[in-house]
Amino acid sequence: MIKFSNVSLIYPNSTTTVLENLNLEIAEGEMVLVIGPTGSGKSSLLRLINGLVPHHTGGILAGDVSVDGSSTQLVKPGGMAHLIGIVGQNPANGFVADTVEEELAFGMETLNLPNDVMRKRVEEVLDLLSLAPLRDRSIATLSGGEQQRVAIGSALVAHPKVLVLDEPTSALDPIAAEEVLSILHRLVHDLSLTVVIAEHKLERVIQFADRIVHINGAGVAQVGTPEDILLHSPIAPPIVHLARALGLKEIGVSVREMRRMTADIRGKEYIEKDAAPRQNGETIIKVSDLSVTYDGKPALKSLSATIASNEIVAIMGRNGAGKSSLLKSLAGISHLATGFVDVSGFNPQNLKGKERRSTIGFIPQEPSDLLYGQSVQIECDQADKDNQMPNGTTAQILQQLVPGVLPTTHPRDLSEGQRLGLALSIVLSSNPGVLILDEPTRGLDYQAKKELTRILIEFAQATRKCVVLATHDVELVAELATRVMFLADGDIVADGTTLDVLLSSPAFAPQVSKVMSPQPWLKVSDVVAAIQAHK
Amino acid sequence: MKKLSLHPLTWWIWAIGLAIAVIRFDNTVFTICCVGAVAVVVFINRENAPWGKSFNWTLKLSAWILLVRTCIGVLIGVPIPGTTLFTLPILPLPSWMPGIRIGGTVTAERLTSALTEGILICAIIVIFGAAASLTSPHRLLRVLPVYIYEFGISIVIATSVLPQLVSSVSRIRQAQKLRGQSLRGFTSWRRVAIPLLEESLARSLDLAAAMDSRGYGVNKKRSRYRPIKWRAADSAVVCTALIVLGLS
Repeated sequence: MIKFSNVSLIYPNSTTTVLENLNLEIAEGEMVLVIGPTGSGKSSLLRLINGLVPHHTGGILAGDVSVDGSSTQLVKPGGMAHLIGIVGQNPANGFVADTVEEELAFGMETLNLPNDVMRKRVEEVLDLLSLAPLRDRSIATLSGGEQQRVAIGSALVAHPKVLVLDEPTSALDPIAAEEVLSILHRLVHDLSLTVVIAEHKLERVIQFADRIVHINGAGVAQVGTPEDILLHSPIAPPIVHLARALGLKEIGVSVREMRRMTADIRGKEYIEKDAAPRQNGETIIKVSDLSVTYDGKPALKSLSATIASNEIVAIMGRNGAGKSSLLKSLAGISHLATGFVDVSGFNPQNLKGKERRSTIGFIPQEPSDLLYGQSVQIECDQADKDNQMPNGTTAQILQQLVPGVLPTTHPRDLSEGQRLGLALSIVLSSNPGVLILDEPTRGLDYQAKKELTRILIEFAQATRKCVVLATHDVELVAELATRVMFLADGDIVADGTTLDVLLSSPAFAPQVSKVMSPQPWLKVSDVVAAIQAHK
Repeated sequence: MKKLSLHPLTWWIWAIGLAIAVIRFDNTVFTICCVGAVAVVVFINRENAPWGKSFNWTLKLSAWILLVRTCIGVLIGVPIPGTTLFTLPILPLPSWMPGIRIGGTVTAERLTSALTEGILICAIIVIFGAAASLTSPHRLLRVLPVYIYEFGISIVIATSVLPQLVSSVSRIRQAQKLRGQSLRGFTSWRRVAIPLLEESLARSLDLAAAMDSRGYGVNKKRSRYRPIKWRAADSAVVCTALIVLGLS
């Protein structure tokens, strides 16, 4: 169906090739997963399929990419519209119409399909993706998961033979992600659709993939079955790390397979580790009776909580549950309807300038919002100047967090992980007491996430410090959080230690605990520690 | 109250009619009445959508234009004789610029003439701003013929990216505030402008790529999923403008 023959790609003004001599054939009805570190060229590979690269982006392409017999050298992306449906990294940026129904019809209108065909297909897609209740809704009012479904739907109405998706679940909560992926799985099996998908959160997609293309960033691509590739790949979901840690001969890619392989390990009796006594550190953040409304709709309903020093609190919950509103209230940029917030003795709304920087460090969903300098060096100098620190302090922090960032690079040209690192080092340079992060792992690969985990744990161990982060990433929470607050509809529905909260809900349980249930282990290191204690 | 769902061209025809009438009448009282009526229509009929909110910006813009236009009209220009209000010092200009004078006596006549002209210009801006905020740009695109498709792509990009700019500005300013930066003065806007420019550029490219990969403009013919019909209500709206035009 899709054929890459001797494909090499290089972008203008760049010295490294993105792909080198890639040969790949994808058969009809296959689901292929593209993995690789951030900035390694996954998106480029996906956009080569319908010719957006190089027709839309520039760059030199050697070799040939053809889909169903037509080569992208001869046919422009528009001419491939009936063959290939493509869903970008941020579907909200690609919407052209006001309502769901019009958005779905747009692609067919441009293909000049007769009206009766369009009506039939719109109904089909509405049913297939359970979008029927949303058909007249304005797209701007939909949640992230719903928007993702609309984007997939509007790609499917043209009855393409190939569907290409770039990180379809990165912005979604675990349940919405599962929904989207199971729809894709069904399309592959029912309609024999060919699906090519790029994703960082392997734990979510790996079980659906037939084959994996692993790009290492230096132009080399490996192709193989998930088991073959993941056996040695540094990029691997927790489940594979578990298999490696236990020294299993084979690796399993689904929870079911792994449970079969580990039945004997799970079955043994283990000494129950005493739960670490909950430290009663000093209270740093105090929230009481907090309510926030947006456009008349309540976002937070009379919420009360305290956060003590040395805690790392993960705030979880569906898209739209009020996570961001809570973080913004803590940082003092929401208008509070009722209640008050107290951070280290200050009302965050009154904080300004240096005092604000030394009390609260905030990393927004788009870390680049904080950046405005023309180079990494300028950003670091600005931060030093702001905090009256000796020159080079911030740059030094940056080198510790993400080594190897060139000072002359423009912040836009950094990879997602490096950009987050830069924003973090600017915020950390003022040595804040509270660090607040909103969805820090969007678009981060496993290596960058590991670094982030290390940094945050180190930060929280210092005296009178705490970390609050909102995230959908269950595995990250398992690795680093000491406490989880679960929000639903603007209310705290669960608040407790990470272990208690994550194990009580199957949808939010990390992979290791799914494999090892009923043993109370969340991460690979828990399992290893327990086994060693047993010996 | 249920809002009227009209043909996307209706409000534009209406606006053109009113604009011509305003110019032909050339009467300040009528112009002000007309602007008032237009504003009422917009506040009743606009949708709760990004383009609906753009009318407030139109009003701010035209007030600003009126102010600047009047100041310049008073400062520069041909002296009009009449009742003297006050006298400004005359700025000496080189001899090769005859007929232009900066400063001088400001008469009531000069002030009124500057104001009248300013109000007329602003009225035209407000009337077309109203049409823009009453019509969904996406629906407008659907009734425009495909052969102006590059123009169509630009319209969609401009109209969907611009409203998002407004929300991006507040988001970025919020982030900057959290970095403890002051939000006053020129430099604060420079700090916002750079991330904003980069983001909107990336967004526009995304949208253009999405439209391209969905085959926009490949077929010169385009079918209609739900044809937009011209209804009696549309004719009624257009008639009101035509009546005003006929009276002028």
